[in-house]
Amino acid sequence: MSIAAYILSPLIGLVVGIFFMGLFRVMTARIHWRYGPPLTQPVIDIIKLFLQKSVSHGVVFELGLLLSLAGSVVTLFFVPIGNICPLNVAGGLLVVLYLMLIAPMGIALSGGSGANPNISIGVSRKMLLALSYEVPFLLIVLTLMFHYRTISLVNLVQLQRASSWGIIALPLAGISYFLILPAMLGIRPFEIAEAAQEIASGLKVEYSGKFLALYYIEHAFRRFIVIALFVNLFLGGAGEPFTFLLKMLIVFILGVFINAVFPRLRIEQAIRFNWTWPTIIALAGLVIAYIWG
Amino acid sequence: MLLVAFGGAFLTYFLGKVSQTLRNGFAVLVSSVLVCMVAGLYGFEKDIVYFTFFEYSLILSINTLSWFFAITITVLGTLSILFSLSYVKDKSKLDLYYMMMLLVNASMLGIVLSGDLISFYIFWEIMSWSIFVLVSYNRGAALAAGLKYIVISLAGSLCMLVGILSLQARFGTLDIAQLAVVMADAPHGYLVFILIMFSIAFGIKNGIMPLHVWVPAAYTESPSPFTAVLSGMLAKMGTFGFLTIFYVLLGWRAFLYLGQGRLSFHYILCIIAAITIVIPNFTAVLQDDAKRLLAWSSIGQCGYIILGIAFGTSLGVAGGIFHFFNHAIFKALLFLAVGAVEFRTNGIRDLNSLGGLANRMPVTFVATLIGACGLIGIPLTNGFVSKWLLYKTLILNGSPFLAFAALLGTWGSFLAIYKLIHNIFLGQISETHKSMRRAPFSMQLPMVILGAVTIVFGVFPGLPLHVINTIGISLGFESLGINLWGIASTTGTLNTINIFAAIFVLLFIVYFIFRAGAQSRMIAQDDSYAAGSYIPEGKYHYTVDFYNPFYRMIGPWLKDSIDEFYIWIGKTNERLAEIIRRIYTGNVGHYAVYIVLFLAVLIGIQLIWRPW
Repeated sequence: MSIAAYILSPLIGLVVGIFFMGLFRVMTARIHWRYGPPLTQPVIDIIKLFLQKSVSHGVVFELGLLLSLAGSVVTLFFVPIGNICPLNVAGGLLVVLYLMLIAPMGIALSGGSGANPNISIGVSRKMLLALSYEVPFLLIVLTLMFHYRTISLVNLVQLQRASSWGIIALPLAGISYFLILPAMLGIRPFEIAEAAQEIASGLKVEYSGKFLALYYIEHAFRRFIVIALFVNLFLGGAGEPFTFLLKMLIVFILGVFINAVFPRLRIEQAIRFNWTWPTIIALAGLVIAYIWG
Repeated sequence: MLLVAFGGAFLTYFLGKVSQTLRNGFAVLVSSVLVCMVAGLYGFEKDIVYFTFFEYSLILSINTLSWFFAITITVLGTLSILFSLSYVKDKSKLDLYYMMMLLVNASMLGIVLSGDLISFYIFWEIMSWSIFVLVSYNRGAALAAGLKYIVISLAGSLCMLVGILSLQARFGTLDIAQLAVVMADAPHGYLVFILIMFSIAFGIKNGIMPLHVWVPAAYTESPSPFTAVLSGMLAKMGTFGFLTIFYVLLGWRAFLYLGQGRLSFHYILCIIAAITIVIPNFTAVLQDDAKRLLAWSSIGQCGYIILGIAFGTSLGVAGGIFHFFNHAIFKALLFLAVGAVEFRTNGIRDLNSLGGLANRMPVTFVATLIGACGLIGIPLTNGFVSKWLLYKTLILNGSPFLAFAALLGTWGSFLAIYKLIHNIFLGQISETHKSMRRAPFSMQLPMVILGAVTIVFGVFPGLPLHVINTIGISLGFESLGINLWGIASTTGTLNTINIFAAIFVLLFIVYFIFRAGAQSRMIAQDDSYAAGSYIPEGKYHYTVDFYNPFYRMIGPWLKDSIDEFYIWIGKTNERLAEIIRRIYTGNVGHYAVYIVLFLAVLIGIQLIWRPW
């Protein structure tokens, strides 16, 4: 079981993450009354990019990207997908919180070794956006950890399956998480760090060939992790992978709907939004949990 | 051992008159001999009465707690002196500089080894004054910083003196071991008074929130190798003081139940610590001076240490002590790295005018990166383990708001330290730095050692935690289940070796996938985005005002109003003194009037209330 889990977990993450990327483009296109690319377009893109020649800026440029991909996969090891969770003994939501920092840091280091000003702007925006959604996110996570008195993600899922889902037990935290979900996924209205039309996609502007391919893969993992966390924390996880992925799909489709109809915010507006409504709701949730607990 | 330490310091000064090389060699020798001596004392517990004065005997004592501090002091001292060799090469008054560096180390050793409060106070004062000399070593702005430091430090020392005298008057002994026995049944109000007096003194050294004002200026202006010691160890003498006073002198049961419910002393200290975590870490984000940024971040990290110690659970205290150790390591590393950059760029610390140095100073860059990871608390560095301990105890013992402050502080330090890395080492390189050389070997060596320690203790946290566990047990806490790579317990296990192995293997796999793709070609930084066209020189430095949108939003909230408040107190005092001075006109007639008026008032009082 354990060896299989180590292989299965990244595999599911990769396949589903890339499937989501394709689905994302198709659905957005249909909502916009366009026809859109085929569902397999991301796969074709990634294979094509791997076969193309590319340019590099040296060791930091390459190693940063590799580090971020490795960091994402390690994070995935700690996130249960149904009953597949390779590293659950070392469990701990806190570990996940900190491991989630490796990936953006690696990307930022790698991008930073280019000289393009768009990269610096992208890094700055990404950091600030992360700060803005982390404030409510930390409150939410603390509410859960405090309510269930555990810091293990696997325990959290088991406790929810034994009683009721997190979103029913702690509705305010759940609503708040849903409000910051677009920011965590980096989709509109919070597509600020990678605004293609403003700063030429920011961080990834200097990537080409296999660098871009790896970046896409990392991106797929990252989206998978964020949605999987939501399902684990609030929708009770699942006993087996299939139900789990179904829950993820529903959350993801809701995200696509939001993405398709909203315009992009500026970074100040995003910080202001994330620090008002989601934070107030999350704080209220924590206070209620604290008084009742 | 103290003889070697102090003797070495003074001898260094005189050797400097003879020869430069001899002095440098001797300074390194003294400090490394001290490391060996302290290391040899591991597991040793003894009290030595070295001097008797009237009925007071001055005692030196060593136990695991003081050993742990002593070894950190000596190692950091050695590394910073090693770093100094090239850093201060071209400055004047080097004899004084080396003597003071050694003297500071010696006095810190004295503090942690002293077994009674008189020795403690004497060594404390030696330390405070040597810090003053070193902070104001670069004249100019440094002198102002030094003055600011010494005024505040004196206030702290006075508070401590009041505390010590009061203890002496009440119990008639200053021996820490004896005091611990007699203080057990003292009234609560008195204990709170003593704790507040000592806490002010230690809080000033440690830089906790309302008492932190000397820190940014002093850290910024002092020479970098000394800043490493100042931030790494000297500030942590406050931590040692807190540990001594709370847990050795008072015992944790008495300490935790001092007060009523939420209004207890330790809970208030926890809240102060939480404030100390959040505000300085976010102030650090807004700084443009590399060392000032690190200084604010130091204040914030001290908040974690105090939070752990004040929270008073076995995990919390272990986390606090471990974080003290980690912070000493990685913050010294960061200050040294910034010092190396400063050395090679002729004293530029302004983050807006640096950039792209990663290829010019690879060792320094990697060292900074490791230090930064430790500061943020990324897994596989020691900072992660200590923070994990803290969060775990805060969450499981029902203080989610304190935990929120601690986690939020991590994000502040992440933003701040990433700004440091990005603005110094990444982005576009300035024309003037294109021909820069690497840092000299004597600078690289300390950074490499500290970086290695950060990683090794992150992967094998059991090594230091074993010692810390012994300290915890000697302070009366229950033992933590510690093995070489983590902490086993029923409520959640941490196993760092798993994470390490997973990341390592994955890096290899990813690397092979990466190699399997089509070839890539190395090109210069400018080629890909300028596409061969002309780039105006020095115009595209977009790391200037890195977090400008953020600054506009929160800048007004984070003004250092406490500093302004102290300055206001100073000004008001001056004005008050001015008014009082006017009374002394020098005219005898006026004085006669004063006397008559005073008598009239006295008579009036007597007539109305008849008190006499």
